[in-house]
Amino acid sequence: MLVRWLNERLELDKFMEKFLAKTFPSHPTFLLGEVALFAFITLVVTGVFLGLLYEPSTINVSLFGAQVPAAYASVVRIDLLPMGAIIRQIHHWSAMLLIAAILAHLMRVYFTAAYRKPREINWLVGLGLWGGTLVAAFTGYLLPYSQFSVTATSIAYFIAKSVPWLGNGISRLLFAGEFPAAGTVPRFFFLHVMLIPAVLFGLIGLHLLILVKQKHSEPRANRNRDAAQKGKRLIGIPLWPEQAIISLSVYLFFLFIVTLLATYVPLNPIEAYGPPAAGTPVMRPDWYFLLVYGFLKLVPGDLAIPFPGGALTPETIGGVIFPGFTFLVLALIPFLDRAREPQHYLANPLHRPFMTAFGIGGSVFLAMNVVAGYIDRLGIAPDTMLVYVALATLAAFGVPYLLLRFYNKRRKGINNGKS
Amino acid sequence: MVTGGPPEQLEKKGLTRRRLTLGILLAAAAGAIGSLLTVVKVLAPKRSGRGYEADILPGDRVVYAQGDQLGTPVQAASFQAGDAALVYPAGKATNQANLVQLIRLDESVFQAPTRLELTDQGFVAYSAVCTHLACTVSWVKNQASPSASFTECFCHNSIFDPARGAKVLGGPAPIPLAQIGVRVIEDGSLVFTSDFSGPIGPQV
Repeated sequence: MLVRWLNERLELDKFMEKFLAKTFPSHPTFLLGEVALFAFITLVVTGVFLGLLYEPSTINVSLFGAQVPAAYASVVRIDLLPMGAIIRQIHHWSAMLLIAAILAHLMRVYFTAAYRKPREINWLVGLGLWGGTLVAAFTGYLLPYSQFSVTATSIAYFIAKSVPWLGNGISRLLFAGEFPAAGTVPRFFFLHVMLIPAVLFGLIGLHLLILVKQKHSEPRANRNRDAAQKGKRLIGIPLWPEQAIISLSVYLFFLFIVTLLATYVPLNPIEAYGPPAAGTPVMRPDWYFLLVYGFLKLVPGDLAIPFPGGALTPETIGGVIFPGFTFLVLALIPFLDRAREPQHYLANPLHRPFMTAFGIGGSVFLAMNVVAGYIDRLGIAPDTMLVYVALATLAAFGVPYLLLRFYNKRRKGINNGKS
Repeated sequence: MVTGGPPEQLEKKGLTRRRLTLGILLAAAAGAIGSLLTVVKVLAPKRSGRGYEADILPGDRVVYAQGDQLGTPVQAASFQAGDAALVYPAGKATNQANLVQLIRLDESVFQAPTRLELTDQGFVAYSAVCTHLACTVSWVKNQASPSASFTECFCHNSIFDPARGAKVLGGPAPIPLAQIGVRVIEDGSLVFTSDFSGPIGPQV
């Protein structure tokens, strides 16, 4: 009855016919983006719980007889609530998995060249989503206001401040003064729970809207079927009910994994870190910032490139230019590897020696920077590590490139022989 | 359809008007966006003026900055060669730039560019704020040979040599930690005797 009532007013039938019948290609790698979406939803839901209890203030309050910042005290109290600690852990773990899912999704799109015409716009929107997620994660670091939070944010503050010309203004704008300023926590709180999520919601909507408008790209196998039927048809399963069931299963499985991790691998033990104090313990950021963290360790201290009105210091090079350059290269990819005609089938990575080798080389380069984050524990000197990074990157690019070149020559030779 | 004037003139006139309107709109939009600079100015508070500036004066008492003895004066007798601690000038703990690492070494190990006139009985003190990205440096004690101990920042593994003016031995720190003078006084505690010998904190 309710359905009929709504249908008479909103013309749901028409909408369902158009939207719920949307075709989804059935391939497991097409679910990576969905995992990211589900991680985001989990973050929003757990975030609402945390936001209702968190106190964005650094004024000292009394907690078990000690004077600690109100923000820190409120997070300790959340951890003491029934289910409080587990919800905070699910929130943190969802963020770790969200960024991993986006990276996996991005790699799938990269290696199958699904960014080519007409999907360049969605590639850029996707990069924006990744960037926005990283900013959300970064602003979330500070909120518990533990010794870890303050040290990590202080590092970012000085990186921002080290930018020639603009650094002073940018750092005071982002951190509401000279960190640690009284206004930093309220500003980061607003950015973390309001502004960035709003932008992410908008970008996710745009990402999905463009996806629905352009339709999915298809696995290569469908090309032969289309060719046999002498017509282009998107092959797959409809959103309702088939894909919906699969998606729901993916979400339920995600909840299972994230709860398991939150229970057995707790992160960010703020009670152990304690409130801000004089010393700095050995600490490493979450995995997605290890890249920048490792790179910062590798940049030699005396490397300062003179610059009119300042100098590009190791901090600027490692903390701003390196991540900025990585994003720039990613953003340019669909405009450098162009297709003249609209592409609707995924490329076979084995048929694209340069792009595939470039992707592997780039991934290994970034992974080696993560390793560089552990040189103190591995006992490797920064200079030696730089050589390892260079060699591993060259090998990861060169070997696949030569192998794929050879493979494609043979493949073409065989095809020619057949015809 | 005839509205006076040759058509080409009309076209030109129309075009001009359109351009004018567009120009006005763009100028107004630029002005409106420019007015957002006010917001930016308000959102980025002015420099508090102090920045990373220490306010240690000669004669300030050296007190512990952490641990059970937080805030109590450091006693020279409790320090062996190879020991170190984070210290503050008494009563000035709120200024992070005042954080100092007090180290005691065997007097014979000091080499240039350590400023010997700023040391006393093997005590040497350096800014504890890493010159890379402002983390607090830590003391890595070598139990077997105390004079081989060194200062390390655990954030990005910059290593400083306390016997040679906190020279950078490795890692991304661009300059040494600045030295500050300390002296043991009659009651066995320590006081600062100078300002920092060079710039402190990140060089940004």
